[in-house]
Amino acid sequence: MSDFRFGLTHAPLTPFADGRIDYDTYRKVIDFHLRNRAEGLALPMHAGESVSLSAEERKALAEFAIKHVAGRVPVIINVSEAGTAIASSLSAHARKAGATALICSVPYYWTPPQSMLVEHFATIGQAGGLPFFVLNSPSEFSEVEFASKSVVELLGKLPHFAGLIDMSLDWQYMIEVVTVARAVRPDFQLVSGNEYMISAGAIGATGMLSSLASVSPKLVRELYDLCRVQDYKAARAPQEDAAILFRLFRDAGPSGLKAAAKAMGRDCGAPRQPLPTLPDAAARALATKISNVGSVKAEPRGWA
Amino acid sequence: MTLVLKGVMQSPVTPLKNDFSPDYETFERLVDFHVRTGATAISWPHHKAESHNLTIAERKSLGEVAIKAVNKRVPVSIHVSALALEDTFDLARHAQKKGADAIIAITPYFWKYPPEAIYDYFVKLGTSFDLPLIAYNSPSYLDGIEFTGELTARLIQRLPNFIGMKEASFNSEKFFEILRAAQPLRSTFAMIVGVEYLLPSVSLGGAGSYSSAGAICPNLCIELYESCVAGDWDRARAAQYKLSELWLLFRDQYPSSLKGGCVIMGRPVGPTRPPLPTASPERVKFIEKRLIELGIVDSEPHGW
Repeated sequence: MSDFRFGLTHAPLTPFADGRIDYDTYRKVIDFHLRNRAEGLALPMHAGESVSLSAEERKALAEFAIKHVAGRVPVIINVSEAGTAIASSLSAHARKAGATALICSVPYYWTPPQSMLVEHFATIGQAGGLPFFVLNSPSEFSEVEFASKSVVELLGKLPHFAGLIDMSLDWQYMIEVVTVARAVRPDFQLVSGNEYMISAGAIGATGMLSSLASVSPKLVRELYDLCRVQDYKAARAPQEDAAILFRLFRDAGPSGLKAAAKAMGRDCGAPRQPLPTLPDAAARALATKISNVGSVKAEPRGWA
Repeated sequence: MTLVLKGVMQSPVTPLKNDFSPDYETFERLVDFHVRTGATAISWPHHKAESHNLTIAERKSLGEVAIKAVNKRVPVSIHVSALALEDTFDLARHAQKKGADAIIAITPYFWKYPPEAIYDYFVKLGTSFDLPLIAYNSPSYLDGIEFTGELTARLIQRLPNFIGMKEASFNSEKFFEILRAAQPLRSTFAMIVGVEYLLPSVSLGGAGSYSSAGAICPNLCIELYESCVAGDWDRARAAQYKLSELWLLFRDQYPSSLKGGCVIMGRPVGPTRPPLPTASPERVKFIEKRLIELGIVDSEPHGW
């Protein structure tokens, strides 16, 4: 098992032009995140419109990113899919392409029993043979949660199962998972899948996966660093700004993130259908709300 | 009207005799036990006190017993929520007459109603009595009926006696939204977590908890709170993980198993009223095994 630690990982946007992935811009996106102190890149996440990419595009995107990053930071590939075999082929490909780790959510659309979720993850994880992270986000997946007893079962079946990325924000769940998982594997990682890092960090999360990093990389770095040294009093101020931004973008999704990135001088094109491109007035209103968040003034403009 | 709540507050269960009638004598002892073992406030009857299974007359007479037993050593709040709001107002009137220090109320039960109805109800409750008011938010039990930050802020602006909230979403976003809306308007506003999830709540700025396991392990509850306040996060995590295991033991058919656990600790409080089950002898044996495994039997007071 590799000693990969999740750290502060950014989830980049996927730029499009003329209906295709815009690789020239993607190069700039990747460099932007690395300059702004990402310890890893996870792609394509929902913020990167993973579900709107074809399997071939996902593979090409992974290859491109891994090549361009060239070992500067770990690249973690999201292999979430509806079907187990389809996800497994993404995961086998990611390994060949040189990814460092894998992320996988419960299947799209289906609501299988827990035993099948364990099988789903075990199969996909084995196909990849890389450190494997389960993404738990019940509100995005018909309330399907990867139960703590299933976490333990998967630990028994998949030696590479390295941790859980939580987006539920649910204290009962997170504590249950770290308690039962660390009893079996003391270095099991809990990763906060969004920017509520104080409570997750107090509970024992050691990593953070951030979509807000496309807009506020300095803020998420400050929040993460303070939480890693457990200075939660000092982390309160950045946590407040992160909470405001989190709620703004939860409603607006990748459409909002792309509008905001554009307003900050990083045009990544329009989101793919069926996601809407924010109309100018809505984009301006969003930009105003974002600029009212104190810490945003210090954030980088353009690709710097 | 200056009542500032913090620390580990206890909401006692309701001791019953074998014929399910209230056991006043044991109730007095239990309340006294909580105060002697460090409760910073007493609040009764929360749902764990089987509030819904008590008649209004029983609630009044037991409430008087609680107030007398505490004898002003710590503040006493009376939980006035009932299915019919007429009963709620009757209970609140009675609480005020008998010398309670505050009242606490959940969002009204059963019906689906708009946020404005919550606002109107709490304004009426808060302006009808000359007592501090604590609100109680439990979205998962009340099917999504809940306080938002905005609603909380409006009530704080309207009600000078609105001093705090029992918050039982156990969710980082929901808890923090209410907290960050409330505290700029009333710095002493107490965010009190519903059971002992003190680690993720105090790190976010929470004031304390209404205890679940306080009748079983008051020392552990206080150790958790004090280590959170001191910023001793490693110690806090160890205590929180243990308390979380206890909560998993007690939460099903709450408070049946909790009452079962009281037997093991030498503080029997009798059966649980139907439709809730009373812990069977086998269940009590299982609870005993867990309490021994978790080191509770050896580290916590036995008997009264």
